[in-house]
This record gives sequence, structure tokens and C-alpha cells, in this order.
Amino acid sequence: MIQKKICLLGAFAVGKTSLIKRYVSSLYSDKYHTTVGVKIDKKLVSVGDKALTLMIWDVAGEDDYTTLKPTYIRGAGGCIIVVDTTRPNTFEVALMLHGRVKEHAGDIPVLFALNKCDLKEKWLLEDKHLNQLAAFQLPIIKTSAKDGLGVDAMFQALAERMIEV
Amino acid sequence: MTTVVSKVLPALYSALDMVIFVRQPCGLFQAVSDLPAWSQFWLKLAQPSQSQEQNYALTEAFSYLSYFMPDAEEHWKQSALAPLRSGPWIEIDELHQELVLEAGAVWVEDKPVLFIQRMGSEYYQEVERLQLMRNGLLVREELELEVQRRTLKIKQREEEIAIKLVSLTSFRDEETGAHVRRIGLYAAAMAKALNWSQERIDDIRVAAPMHDIGKIGVPDRILLKAGKLTEAEFSIMKRHTEIGAKMLEHSHIPTLDMAADIALCHHERWDGSGYPMGLAGEDIPITARITTIVDVYDALVHERVYKLALSEEETIALMLEQRGKHFDPYLLDIFLGLLPVMRRIRYQVQEIDDLIVRAD
Ligand SMILES: Nc1nc2c(ncn2[C@@H]2O[C@H](COP(=O)(O)OP(=O)(O)OP(=O)(O)O)[C@@H](O)[C@H]2O)c(=O)[nH]1
Ligand SMILES: [Mg+2]
Repeated sequence: MIQKKICLLGAFAVGKTSLIKRYVSSLYSDKYHTTVGVKIDKKLVSVGDKALTLMIWDVAGEDDYTTLKPTYIRGAGGCIIVVDTTRPNTFEVALMLHGRVKEHAGDIPVLFALNKCDLKEKWLLEDKHLNQLAAFQLPIIKTSAKDGLGVDAMFQALAERMIEV
Repeated sequence: MTTVVSKVLPALYSALDMVIFVRQPCGLFQAVSDLPAWSQFWLKLAQPSQSQEQNYALTEAFSYLSYFMPDAEEHWKQSALAPLRSGPWIEIDELHQELVLEAGAVWVEDKPVLFIQRMGSEYYQEVERLQLMRNGLLVREELELEVQRRTLKIKQREEEIAIKLVSLTSFRDEETGAHVRRIGLYAAAMAKALNWSQERIDDIRVAAPMHDIGKIGVPDRILLKAGKLTEAEFSIMKRHTEIGAKMLEHSHIPTLDMAADIALCHHERWDGSGYPMGLAGEDIPITARITTIVDVYDALVHERVYKLALSEEETIALMLEQRGKHFDPYLLDIFLGLLPVMRRIRYQVQEIDDLIVRAD
């Protein structure tokens, strides 16, 4: 059985834990419980005729008080960098984390999740942000942990890219 | 003595809620302390076979540890006495209870020792602290966004009022609301190309349209005179620069301060032949040098009572003749580089106000 470690990274409260919970257990809560430390969830996926166990690392959010440890990204086969579309600040953090991933994990498959897409009226990303993301030529997926939009598709897409590599 | 120690240590481990292992050459971990209740479920998962009762394949039970091991091995290699900590990780046990653990690697008595500790109140206090801080940060972010939203709204309103007032003062002569609006947009485009801060860009967009506000103090018989002005009349006309500056200055509002500069200096010329003070070159505020260029451009390409509209080519040719004379050569080059933008502004902001009272 192939096992792959993937990491969800992003500023605090962008919805990393919620996306994983939606994907792994189809659950969602509006309450915010910040993650301190690392939690690993497992989920079996199939890509074509191959079965694959995803070890999904929920890494504590980035803010002024904690910074990402390089060991958290070590050995990762892929990464999801999460942006909260209602908080432009989280976009800057995402760019910084993308740089950090390249530095510590090399050229692994990465994709960007634009989360909280259910909050359309609070959307605050501008074209300049989207263009900046597009320039990386990495998949960008709109998600909502709340209503499930794009969540399965996102993990599936990453699994497929990891199998290709 | 040994009996005392052998009693103290287990009690200490138990108080610290930790299990101690020694890494064996085979890579398995031998437990050398009692096994607290919470550890037993996990250690069962880590037991390779009956024959090796006290030896555990810890990385099988705790995936997190397999990523800590390279660091731990490196640490043991250096025989370091101070423990290297893994950072906390969270497991969910068979009863769906959250279990927070942290491992540490330490070199003791020539042996590679690994301990796993269940995190207690310290961890939950840390969680509480971070939760409070992050909740606070979220509220602050939201407030900042709200302030930004409102400031923008206020700015837009201010701008609207300014434009309305300025258009009123230009009712008497030919200038129209659309002209006034365009001057602001052209000037803002220049400011943006010059990499000004958003704040200054916003300021000039509002300030540039007020450049002629002093015309309010020029009598109708001069302002609206059809024929050529006499010298005396012209010197009164020229005073609109100073009148405008007087109207706008000393407010301590950056936009109006800028507008006062522009009103005063928008008839100055790069070569020093302008009025009211005959300033030259960079002694003329850059905001005024910009406004001069865009004002002349807009006046030339549009029709006035006293003249027909020029084509863009004719306009550019005329303006180029004045490069380094009437106009700052550097700013003129930037302006010309922005022509497509200026053209777009010109076509998009057309005469919207049928309200304008025509002289004829
Ligand atoms: N409306 C909406 N809210 C969401 C969505 N995803 C997460 N949230 C909410 O956002 C808050 C933060 O979600 P978490 O999943 O805890 O965020 P996190 O990135 O794990 O946060 P940290 O662990 O602190 O870094 C919670 O209140 C969630 O309910 C979403 O897609 N839509
Ligand atoms: Mg979390």
C-alpha cells in the first residue's frame, strides 16, 4: 500500500482543520477551535487502479506567535496551501508559506485552496491576488468546508498529482 | 539507596505521565518504565510479536514519530544531554478521546533514550492562550477591514461633493462637470505611474479638479468676455490662481493642502515664464506640474466656445513643442506613455450634465 504524507498549511483560522474534517468525516462545525500541535488523519483514496493512503497533516496555523517548523513539511508528498477568501491577510501568508515549502520540501505537488467560498458577500480577494496565484501555474481550487464545495475534488486532485510524480 | 531510587523514579515518571524507552540496535524501543494506562492501547499497536514483549515499533503506532526519528537519531549521534523535543501531536484513542503527546530524545548513560509524555494542563493553558489571541486577531482584522470599507465610502462621498462643488463654480464659464472629473482621473493615472502611495493618488484625484476654483472671484465681464482680454483684464484673470490658493489653504487637510498648491501653481511653466510667481523647474510642486499637463491636454482635445477641438495628433504635436518650455519634460514623457489610458478616460467620462447653462 502506498502511503503519502500531505500537509495543509495556511494562516490561522483559514479552515485547515475544517477542510480535513469535511473530507475525512463529512462533518462541519461553525465553532473555532484553534489547532496547537499536529494532528494526522488517514484516508484511503483510489487513483485509477491504485489505492493510496493519505496521511493528512493538520499543522498549526501560522501567525505572529507560532511559525511553521521545517520538520512538519519534511517528507511530504504534497501540500495544500489554504487561503481564506474573506481575509486578504491570509493571502500574504499563503505566498510566504509557498516559498517555505519550496525551500524545505523541494518541488512537490502543491495546490491552493480558496476556502470559505460559501461567504460570497464577504469575498475580498482581488484580481491582482488571483493573477499572482495564477502565475505559479499551480491548481487553484475554490472550496467550502461548510457546504463541501470542492473539498473531495481538491484532495483527489492532489492524490492524482502525487501518483503522477 | 538503590531501593529508594528505584521507588522514586517510577513515581516521578508516573507524576510526569511519561513512558521511557531505550532505542535498541534493531530499531525497536524497549520500555524501561511502567506503562501508564493511556499508553497501553497504543503500545499494543506497536508490538511486533509475542517474543519481544517489552520491545515496541513505536513509529507503527505513532506516524508522527517516524518524522521525528531522523532528528532524534541526529541528536543521539551528538550524545547531547539536553532533550530534543518533538513538539506536541494529537492522537485520537479507541474511545474517541483526544490524547496530546510529546516526545523527547535524550542521551543518557551512553544510551539513546526516547520519552513520550502525555501533555497536561500546560498544553491546555497554551491552547487557551493562543485561542484568545487568535480570536482577538480575528476581531482586529475584521475591524480593520470595516474601517477600510468605511473610509473608502467616506472618501467616495467627499470626492463626489468636491466634484459637485467644483462643477458649480465652473457653471459660469465653459468648464463642465465631466472636464473636472477627467482632470482628476488623468492626474491619478499619472500619480499611479509614478508609483505614489494609494493615499496620495486618491488625494490628487480630488485635488486636481479644484485648480480653477479661484475663478469664482473673477468678475463675469472678464471671465465671460468673448474677445481678447486687455492687459488690465488679463492681470485680474491671472489672480484666479492666488484666489484659489487662499480659498483652499490652511485647512490641514492633505487633499486641500495639495489642492491649494495646484490652484496656485498650475499656470507656472517649467521654463519660468508662467504666473503668478514665475517659478521654474522643480520649484513648481509636482502636483501642479502634472495638473498643467493634463489640463492643457483635455482643453485642447475638446471644443470650447472660442475654439474647435483639435485631433489627438495635433494636440500631441503642440504639447511636444512645449516640452521643457511650458511642461516638465520628464512628466510629459510619462504622460505620452500613458496616452491609451488617457484616451480611455476621455471616452468614458463624457458630458453627462445637460444641466450646464450654455452662454449662447
Ligand atoms: N463560512 C465558512 N466558515 C468556515 C469554512 N471553513 C472554516 N470555517 C470556519 O472558520 C473558523 C476556523 O476554521 P478552522 O478549520 O478551525 O481553521 P484552521 O485553519 O484549522 O485554524 P488554526 O488551527 O487556528 O490554524 C471556524 O469557525 C470554522 O467554522 C468555510 O468553508 N466556510
Ligand atoms: Mg486547525
